[in-house]
Amino acid sequence: MMLLAAAAAQSIGYRPFLDPMWGAWSDGVWPFLLLPLCVGVAVVYKSIKCRSMRDVPRQAASITFWIILGMIIAGALLVAIVKGIDHSRR
Amino acid sequence: MPNRASASDARRVSPALVVAASWLLPGLGYVLLGQRTRGITIGVTVISLFIAGLLIGGVRVLEVPGYGPHGKPVMAYVGGSGKNNDPLYYVFSDIPTRDTDRAVLEGRAIFLHPMDELRAKPWSIAQVMVGPIAFIGGAAAVSASQRGAGEAAPGARSHSRVNEIGVLYTAIAGMLNLLAIIDAQSRASEATQPAAPTREAR
Repeated sequence: MMLLAAAAAQSIGYRPFLDPMWGAWSDGVWPFLLLPLCVGVAVVYKSIKCRSMRDVPRQAASITFWIILGMIIAGALLVAIVKGIDHSRR
Repeated sequence: MPNRASASDARRVSPALVVAASWLLPGLGYVLLGQRTRGITIGVTVISLFIAGLLIGGVRVLEVPGYGPHGKPVMAYVGGSGKNNDPLYYVFSDIPTRDTDRAVLEGRAIFLHPMDELRAKPWSIAQVMVGPIAFIGGAAAVSASQRGAGEAAPGARSHSRVNEIGVLYTAIAGMLNLLAIIDAQSRASEATQPAAPTREAR
């Protein structure tokens, strides 16, 4: 698996740590990079809050869902506000 | 906080030692308190987020106070005479420019104007909370920014979303570790305090 990843990185000229992630991520795919960040925030937050570590996976999954849902709603609201302002100016 | 682990679960360790250990290696403070699973979970997550940020945006997402985009120390230059028609002005740059040619070299900006340098690179404050790994990354960032004569810098500087997300990952990793440091310190403090007298003891 590691060898495959290294071969794939070499074929597109990506040098880990020296180059930023290749082109595709910078266009339409970049919002998906926020998903692992949400999971990480949820895991650390719930590891601090939960009394038993057995509860962490379930609680972290739950809070990850709510963070993502919150971001989608906030994004949709912002799009609606911007389009509303744009529409009222025309 | 009803679902938080009680202090009685924790070993008695000096809170200062827990803070230092948590900063040196994320999660180590919890391990010292006997909460190994919690410590390993938090440590692995924080370090993974930091490294993921460097992989996404490149090591140059770490902006090191005192060093400029060319990997050289930022110098402070002062220009103007300070009179009404010619007010004093400062120029901060790591390479000579047209503006620095007209000003007098004052010294290294990080020593003479540290707050200005930190204000220019505010994310570095959050990133450094990850611990020594941030210093290693910072040294690598400076090294990757330095170019030889007629050569490009070995590390490419990311722009746009990829840079923003790389900075976000590294800074949030630092802020999460700060949260974990404060929590571990609080647990250590509670564990070292003498137990409150019970109703029967009164």
